Amino acid sequence: MDKRPSSSTTDSSNSAQTSETIDDWQVLSPIAILYFTASIFKHLFGNLIYLIPALAFSYKSIIEHPFIWLPLILVAFSLLTLFAFVSFKVYRYRLTTDNIEIRSGIFSKKYLNLPFSRVQNVKIEQPIYYRLTGHACLQLDTAGSAKNEAKLVAIKLDFAQQLKKRIQSQVQNNTEDINQDPPPTNSKEQLGHSQDSSSTIETMLNTRKLSDLVIHGITSNRVWILLGGLAPFYDNIFDTVGDWLTTLEIDLTKLFSLQTHSLLEVVLYALSLTMLVMFVLVGFSVIGAIINFYGYTLSKLDDKYIRRSGLFTKHEVSMGLSRLQMIIQKQDWLDVLLQRINLQFEQSNSFGKNHNLSATSSKIIVPSIKPHECQALIDDAYPNNALEALVCNNGFESISKRFILRNILFIFMPLWLITIIPAVMDGKFMISTFICALFLCLCGLVVIRWKRWGVARDQNFVYLRKGLIGIDYYCFPTYKLQQTQFKQNLLMKKRQLATVKFVLASGSHKVPMITEKLAYQLINEGLYKVESVHKSWM
Amino acid sequence: MLENNFTNPTISIEQLPTILTLDTQSLSEQYAPLNRLINLGFILFVCVLGMVLYFQPFVGLPEGLLNSLPFFIWIASVLGFLFTWLSYARDLVKSYSLRALDLHYTSGLFFRKVVSQPITRIQHIELKRGPIERKVGLATLQVFSAGGEMHTFQIPGLPVETAQQLRQYILQHKDVIEHG
Repeated sequence: MDKRPSSSTTDSSNSAQTSETIDDWQVLSPIAILYFTASIFKHLFGNLIYLIPALAFSYKSIIEHPFIWLPLILVAFSLLTLFAFVSFKVYRYRLTTDNIEIRSGIFSKKYLNLPFSRVQNVKIEQPIYYRLTGHACLQLDTAGSAKNEAKLVAIKLDFAQQLKKRIQSQVQNNTEDINQDPPPTNSKEQLGHSQDSSSTIETMLNTRKLSDLVIHGITSNRVWILLGGLAPFYDNIFDTVGDWLTTLEIDLTKLFSLQTHSLLEVVLYALSLTMLVMFVLVGFSVIGAIINFYGYTLSKLDDKYIRRSGLFTKHEVSMGLSRLQMIIQKQDWLDVLLQRINLQFEQSNSFGKNHNLSATSSKIIVPSIKPHECQALIDDAYPNNALEALVCNNGFESISKRFILRNILFIFMPLWLITIIPAVMDGKFMISTFICALFLCLCGLVVIRWKRWGVARDQNFVYLRKGLIGIDYYCFPTYKLQQTQFKQNLLMKKRQLATVKFVLASGSHKVPMITEKLAYQLINEGLYKVESVHKSWM
Repeated sequence: MLENNFTNPTISIEQLPTILTLDTQSLSEQYAPLNRLINLGFILFVCVLGMVLYFQPFVGLPEGLLNSLPFFIWIASVLGFLFTWLSYARDLVKSYSLRALDLHYTSGLFFRKVVSQPITRIQHIELKRGPIERKVGLATLQVFSAGGEMHTFQIPGLPVETAQQLRQYILQHKDVIEHG
């Protein structure tokens, strides 16, 4: 434990010695027990969530028999601690100059050997219970599957930082080996160190204030995810809320019955009730945003972007500029009103299988920034992009108007007919007018959707525009393409239209119903760019 | 990122190689008939199963099911034949083509689709051969890029030798060796 910091200080001065001093199996600091407990608990809790309805159902009878559940919980807890302790006991790691080995696992033993040169991504994570002792988790992602990641569970924060620097310099050297003439191999280590000592100045690109996070919480509709998750419990929740309201002597049925109140009153009640619910939900969303993005900083070191944020668990994600696959500029309808933009730096999907926008994912999101800040960041990453000019001059080529026709005729029209015919037959005119209104709304949305679609390209980049009420812009360097797809059905062929799909490491993006000629151009140019510019996508 | 020997001349779009004029090659001649045979066999199996269920004296079926079973068998066979015919026609138009720097796979009867995979972006290759494919000497070539599992480039119904040659060509391609 105390050996490690001293060895890491010698690290920069003499690398040969380092390999000797570190070259034996190391034990974690005991604080790791906490981490293991937490992770086991998290794992269990993921399964326990299915038990909650059962527990809620037999809640009363459980409460009445404490002599059954109290020992059970005690046993469970002691087992948990035992597991955590044994996990801590069997966890060993070893560092040599250019690779890391980790042994772990109680029943199924795991032995992981990872050369630093294969590391794609280094993340530092600091859960709240590590904050006092100054420990952190170092997570190393490889390009392979997400399961093959290495995690150093409890090491000192400054040691983690040093290790990160060392690994990244090694990765950098390695890519330079490929791209340029190989430097002499024995000077490699020194070269790496001189490099990172010369470029230790981090430039701060962006920080987020609390007010920005509040805005982000309001504008990002993460609430709906929560609503979806709660769906099985709606009945219970409504019952409980109803009961609670009755105890407050508010009777919902009486409140909303048209016999006792005028229509206006009922509508007002309903409106204020929804407003109240929305307020609570937005509150949750704001809290979520603050937990995720508290103390947000985006900085740049050399050509690496580093994002730090988190209220309880501090996350640090760094991404090399060369790993950046695509920039997405997202604006929802509320963002449009508030003049804010969510900027996303996307990297390969295989690093983080989770697609959510939380702090743990390996993509870098800059929440709710102002347009000029956004443009500055985009220009910083892709210096000669023309996104701003394209947006100003509306330089995007729009897609065919047949997109509207297709969607209305083949998707919404049949649905409308199926629902409207029985309604009219039954003579339910209220319902049928409602269906018609809905249908018209959807048609309007299709038109807006069509208006948003657009594609543009220049020497080095492809730009996409899409969205519904908000507008999203996508921009990627053409040479990052992994695969292209050209799609056309017989109807489209007749009208000389086609759909193009760009497949990138960060995901695929489709441009529907553009002219055949443009589609061929996009694909041909894209393939030409990929094959003529010998640049790696990573 | 700038290198000394880097040149970037402008190229007019007309000069670019285009995927419109691909020199396509069809799949193995055995592929479409084989698929047809498998599909027909499966439908036959389903129908026979239905008939066995209908005529067997051992287990008493509910009245409703017993009455509607012949209809189901008829529907299954008609739909099955339609599907087989359609997929046979679809198999016939599948084709691929190999250029010096990329692979293309064309498919689809009503919904035409051309997938293009630059060789320099290939991560790894797999030759997949099921028991039936092994029996007839066919193979499926799977090409993986960083685009994810959803976008695995795949050419079915290749003669084994062709598939192996393709794999060898890709593996020895300088783009893969340099960037793989």
